[in-house]
Amino acid sequence: MLRSVFTKTLWDQRRSLLAWAVGLTGIGVLYASFYPMVNTPEMRAALESYPQAMIDAMGFDDVTSPAGYLGATTLGMLCPAIIIIMAAAVGGSAIAGEEENGRLDLTLAHPVSRWSVLLQRCAAMVVSMLGVTAALGLALLAISGPAQIDSIGPANLVAGALHLALLGIFFGSLALGLGAATGRRSIVYLAVAVVAIVGYFGNNLGPTIEGLHWLRDISPFHFYQGGEPLRNGIQPADLAVLAGTGVLLVIAGGLAFDRRDVAV
Amino acid sequence: MTEMIRTVGLTKYYGRRRGLAGLDLEVRQGETYGFLGPNGAGKTTTIRILMDLIRPTGGQATVLGEAPRAGGTALRRRVGYLPGDFVVSGGQPAGELLTYLGHLRGGVEAGRIRALAERFDLDLKVRIGSLSKGNRQKIAVVQAFMHEPELFVLDEPTIGLDPIMQQRFLELAAEAHKAGQTIFMSSHVLSEVQQCADRVGILRDGKLVAVEAVEDLRRRAVRRVEVRFDAPVRKDAFGKLPDVGDIEVEGNVLRCRLTGRADPLVKALARFGVATLTVEEPDLEEVFFVYYRGEEGTDAA
Repeated sequence: MLRSVFTKTLWDQRRSLLAWAVGLTGIGVLYASFYPMVNTPEMRAALESYPQAMIDAMGFDDVTSPAGYLGATTLGMLCPAIIIIMAAAVGGSAIAGEEENGRLDLTLAHPVSRWSVLLQRCAAMVVSMLGVTAALGLALLAISGPAQIDSIGPANLVAGALHLALLGIFFGSLALGLGAATGRRSIVYLAVAVVAIVGYFGNNLGPTIEGLHWLRDISPFHFYQGGEPLRNGIQPADLAVLAGTGVLLVIAGGLAFDRRDVAV
Repeated sequence: MTEMIRTVGLTKYYGRRRGLAGLDLEVRQGETYGFLGPNGAGKTTTIRILMDLIRPTGGQATVLGEAPRAGGTALRRRVGYLPGDFVVSGGQPAGELLTYLGHLRGGVEAGRIRALAERFDLDLKVRIGSLSKGNRQKIAVVQAFMHEPELFVLDEPTIGLDPIMQQRFLELAAEAHKAGQTIFMSSHVLSEVQQCADRVGILRDGKLVAVEAVEDLRRRAVRRVEVRFDAPVRKDAFGKLPDVGDIEVEGNVLRCRLTGRADPLVKALARFGVATLTVEEPDLEEVFFVYYRGEEGTDAA
């Protein structure tokens, strides 16, 4: 595990990655297992009394079907929130965090290029995202019988988890690229928060507001769940947009990183 | 090629703050070069430019004949670097970090790491986070020396080390010197570089104000001498001694400043019974003061 920046990064993060995986899986399983309580006539009636605007804002329009419930709650809010926070933490620490606490000097003074450090840290971030979402996917598969969500089917559950992974990779790339370009975690956290909040509400509310339709079309959440992976399986075009944008963000960050001074 | 490091008119500004203001530096092959200056003079800035961590605002720098940026990874493979502030993740044992850094360099024999660690009484199994500052600095020394590079660039290498470990470091530096390796090390303590350097460059306000052979510097350095005699002495017994100034006598204690050879003073003292003799090593500020007193005047003009 000590042979490269890539493996060393994963090795150093092994404990925190385990914690992220446990947290994500725990929340995911907990909320998924509430489904039998939502799937009742009383709940349906209660939901119908909610104002339509609120239902739109939360993405709750089909919350009583298994795919609708999972897509709106577990995979619609809580798991993305956790994965985005994790993306900010992992991506922000990769370059900007190391730089802020003075550790980057030693690495970069070794025979390894800045591009190589950036891309290896990026690869570690991608693997981390795939790892924690795989844990979530497996856990959801395991409880899909008792939680009465097995009508979604294993292939679509995997699709949901993979889409979540790509959402994390997109935000991780944003954090990594911006951190590499600026060297400052505060900027990374701010940018991730703004993109996440505007993206989330833009995706849910954009279409209901005159002149703001375009917000949904550029929201990462649109490419995350707009194609309803829990119903329709993997949406390659959406995943390609998330991954492609991530690649561009990392490249842009790398171009700036390669030119600038490393802070003490 | 005889110049291992060369800079011409090197400048670095951080916004409006000065880092370097036209540095001309030349480090020859095989020499140990002490890079001296007070805090904030630009020592770390110079070193970080040489390691391509920051880019100069103006002027040129070459390391082993290549510009730091163009030389890239191939150049850094040939250089051992010790950062001024050695910060690493505390969760890992020292041995793990050193193995990893060795791999980044294309592999370092485990035996070499062990031998160096033993030399500095460094326990490779202990988590870095639980080590004292001095013990962490030992890791910094080991990682710089473990791969036997052609050139060492060391930023205050002995900071935090106790006197015994400082001595071990100086021995290590002497061995590298003997093996033909070039050492460029910064310090703000003259006595430290005096022991191992061939030449010393003095940096002030981002410029090199003097380059001296250590021998010359030592000869010119001012030492404070305090002598306690068995019995009171008279000041005029030490009337005119070469290289001795500011003589003060108080009862049986004599204080003076010695600026050159000690011999005439010692001979003069030997006529009396000497109880104790203290010679204070010159500090850098004092060397500056004596050395550049003349220049201060021209600066002001």
